[in-house]
Amino acid sequence: MVDLLPEQGSGLLDRYQPGGAFDEAFDADGAVRGPYRRIVERFRELDIDEVKRLENLVADEFRRQGITFTVYSEEEGTERIWPMDLFPRIIAAAEWDELSRGLSQRVAAMNCFLADLYNGGGQAIADGVVPRWLVVSSQGFERNAVGIRVPHSAHCNIAGIDVVRAADGRYRVLEDNLRSPSGISYVIENRAAMAKACSWLFYDHPVEPTEQYGRMLRSTLESMAPDGRDSPHIVVLTPGIFNSAYFEHAFLARSMGVELVEGRDLVVDDHTVYSRTIEGLVKVDVIYRRIDDDFLDPVAFRPDSTLGVPGLLGALRAGTVTVCNAMGNGVVDDKAVYPYVPELIRYYLGAEPIIDNVTTYTMWDPDQRAEALARLDQLVAKPVGESGGYGVLIGPHATEQELDQARATIEAEPRDWIVQELVHLSTLPSFAEDRLEPRHLDLRPFVLTGERTQVFPGGLTRVAMRRGSLIVNSSQGGGSKDTWVLAPETP
Amino acid sequence: MRLGIAYRMHFRYSETVTESQNEVRVRPLHDDHQRVLAYRLISRPRLEVLSVSDYWGTTVEHLGIRIPHNELELVAESTVETSSRAEPAEPVEVAALTDSDFKTSHLEFLSASQHVHWEGGNALSQRAGSAVAGASSVQDMVRAVMADVRGVLTYRQGATDIGTTLTELLDGGAGVCQDFAHLAAGMLRSVGVPVRYVSGYLFAADETAPDTETADVVSVQTHAWIEAALPGWGWWALDPTNGGAVGERHVVIGRGRDYGDVPPVRGAFTGSGTAEVDAEVVIGRQFDGQASTPAGEPEPPRAVVTTPAAPNWRHQQSQQQQ
Repeated sequence: MVDLLPEQGSGLLDRYQPGGAFDEAFDADGAVRGPYRRIVERFRELDIDEVKRLENLVADEFRRQGITFTVYSEEEGTERIWPMDLFPRIIAAAEWDELSRGLSQRVAAMNCFLADLYNGGGQAIADGVVPRWLVVSSQGFERNAVGIRVPHSAHCNIAGIDVVRAADGRYRVLEDNLRSPSGISYVIENRAAMAKACSWLFYDHPVEPTEQYGRMLRSTLESMAPDGRDSPHIVVLTPGIFNSAYFEHAFLARSMGVELVEGRDLVVDDHTVYSRTIEGLVKVDVIYRRIDDDFLDPVAFRPDSTLGVPGLLGALRAGTVTVCNAMGNGVVDDKAVYPYVPELIRYYLGAEPIIDNVTTYTMWDPDQRAEALARLDQLVAKPVGESGGYGVLIGPHATEQELDQARATIEAEPRDWIVQELVHLSTLPSFAEDRLEPRHLDLRPFVLTGERTQVFPGGLTRVAMRRGSLIVNSSQGGGSKDTWVLAPETP
Repeated sequence: MRLGIAYRMHFRYSETVTESQNEVRVRPLHDDHQRVLAYRLISRPRLEVLSVSDYWGTTVEHLGIRIPHNELELVAESTVETSSRAEPAEPVEVAALTDSDFKTSHLEFLSASQHVHWEGGNALSQRAGSAVAGASSVQDMVRAVMADVRGVLTYRQGATDIGTTLTELLDGGAGVCQDFAHLAAGMLRSVGVPVRYVSGYLFAADETAPDTETADVVSVQTHAWIEAALPGWGWWALDPTNGGAVGERHVVIGRGRDYGDVPPVRGAFTGSGTAEVDAEVVIGRQFDGQASTPAGEPEPPRAVVTTPAAPNWRHQQSQQQQ
């Protein structure tokens, strides 16, 4: 079937020209890809006034719900209404099946590695899979986590894995987030707003629902209670209302039907954590914490922190409570460890990675460093300890001066950097003024692991707002899209 | 040498405290050089103690109290049999320090850490560079730095606190055993010699001169010294505070990158009051036939340390004074 682009419908997709990247909706000949057939037809029936009306409906909905996000790098106006593009991302059932198997596999291997490091004596290090020096020099390696028992060896209960689709149409993992990945609330709110404003778009699409996330998360956390306790008491621990993700913390507590607490609401007695409630102290079994390791317990970590719970480390060592995610997962988020993940999959699971890494050069290897720095103008340099796109240098967009400066910085501290091939992120029609234009995007699916592993259908699709931009992070001005995973067709 | 050790920590609060949480690292390590014959930690009020071995192999004991109290007393009693340690006989070549396997396997003790921080070209690394210039063996490098530390630092209590940086220490020119150990560690690491920080007890009436004749019982504080890695030989223990060797009078509690990995006491309490922490160690030499408990009445306590803390929670930790 060849579906010619122009001269049909309202003209929103007239002159739609996918660039050199893989376009999710149109193939190289301009034909609509299967999963997008119906949605493209529907958007062709829309005119721009109708689109503007729908966009306002969605924005009003977000405003009413208080769904905002924070941009830290700007001086003022840091709270913004969450931006969602109306044209959804659609993932066919078979494609999702493979992607989700790849994500489960990757998270399973990373969990094996964390269990090995913190409770298994470091077999992968002894066997030379990952160098010991790399682990002990990682800011994310938490020595206080060594020996703390973790039910089911599930150190990462909530993972957000950033995947991108390269020009060859294959997914690749760009970044692993195993500490406190945020964004799931936006996924659910995007769907809610989309369903409210344009329910007719969903017609004829067997879209996997998203509203079950609270139940999935709750059952995952329940399975993490020490000693397999029945009906465990779960709390969500937030740094407080000034945190950029506070909305999400409140959202998750509400959707699970559990308490949202701050450090001062919890107390440790006899190496057991209790929550101060109107009925008195109630024992806490599982803490879904959204504060960093360093702030968990001011006795053991940062004395200046008021966010944590004094004595919590002792309770963890006593095994009376579980924190999710476990302490010390940052060692896997360390981008210097990322190049080893495919090898960890082979080592622990005896299987080939279903999803590859982006080609990555390790800067502490002199040969790789020389090769990468010589063509840095074509590559991407990333600091190993940052996330959210901060500190990233995109070679083709950098000035000579910036490139030279980056080379000097990398030469001085090679452990602190990785350099990757530039991935020409896939594109999808997105609204720019009065028509749809290709915009680059990525995907953050969420993988939940407790007694068993579940991949939440879809995830957060982030989209660059400007033509040609590869920066999709909302903290850097990116937008989002509702992400539809189609259910398998019933025979 | 058999030693009976009693480490008394006495926290007194200006106002009633409703909750305090503490972790202590005071139990002597049990290894080839010292055998722990007896150990117990006693608290008043009586508290449940959780005892675990941490990443560094040090015993850490967690104690929490949630009843109103105006004072808290902890006493750690140990009986330890120590033996002497071997000294490196043959000179180790300086070039061996640059072996890449040696460097990567000792990375944790070659890198800057929380309390042992320097930068290339700063006063500390320049000082270390000149001190070891011309050294013909790693032992010479270590001895040169030990001498230099003793030259630049005068032993004086109260001149520093836990937050004092190495740069401030060099400027101030005075400190206690913890500072001597940190400065020696920083200087040696900056010239490529891996160094561990050791927390422990020293059986000596005068920590700056442990070889002088001592009474059978002394009242002191916890002590700190270092161990330098000699390629092909192992860890060589040295005491920067007195420039001497580490022997039977030294009892190891634990080892780490610096004080932050092995603090004897670390804690926090609620309330608006202030805390006075009196800590002291009474060590007595024991002979065959003697009971395994420390003897002697403690001298009046010293060392009042309170550190500023977050609102509502106050922090208490003791400096290693000796």
